[in-house]
Amino acid sequence: MVVKPWMLEKSARCHSCGDATVHEIQVDEYDLQISCRECGFRRYYTFTMVEVPEK
Amino acid sequence: MKVHLRVFVEIENLGKAMNALTDAGITGFYILEYKGMSPQDWEGFVIKEDPKSTIGLIRDYAKEAVLVCCVVDEDKVDSIVESVQKSLEGEKYTILEVPIRRIIVSYGGSKKKTDEKAEPWLLEKEVPCFYCGEKAVQRIRIEKNKSKIWCTNCGASRYYTLRTTENPGED
Repeated sequence: MVVKPWMLEKSARCHSCGDATVHEIQVDEYDLQISCRECGFRRYYTFTMVEVPEK
Repeated sequence: MKVHLRVFVEIENLGKAMNALTDAGITGFYILEYKGMSPQDWEGFVIKEDPKSTIGLIRDYAKEAVLVCCVVDEDKVDSIVESVQKSLEGEKYTILEVPIRRIIVSYGGSKKKTDEKAEPWLLEKEVPCFYCGEKAVQRIRIEKNKSKIWCTNCGASRYYTLRTTENPGED
């Protein structure tokens, strides 16, 4: 099943500039990307594994 | 996002409200005592515009009340409000939820607290699950080096690991 990218926002302290700012989060099937709206610092996460419930 | 939660209660219900807030997990608060009138009590009043009458009216009719304020994470607000509502069932109260755009704290020259461990971010999105296909809340937990997304309906989870960072300010 193809997962459409999600666009989310989170107000939090930036790991880079340290300010309490809004972060844009894009969640894709294989990638997750976070960028600080204030300083542009980005973090890229890659899909590693999936865990499904036992039937 | 953080939320400024304001709970207006009559003074005799302060203890109940405080216990409910503490049980629900608030970490700090401040209170303001005030005298106020609710809209239904105020209805029909026209005050004379001299200070004596105004003060007299407040003394005679306004009730003693307390405003309890705290700053909480947005995702904790619902459970805190539920706890207060349960505890103050049948009592008069007002709850305001005010979104906070920014928080600036000055430590007044003293050293900043060192226990600044980055808290994980928690987000939610209601979409069809990639595994069960049901439209359900998908919870997203983002930590510094890893992330997890799971379906609240079936429990299927996807795990992500930090690959790289990019800082335009360091170019």
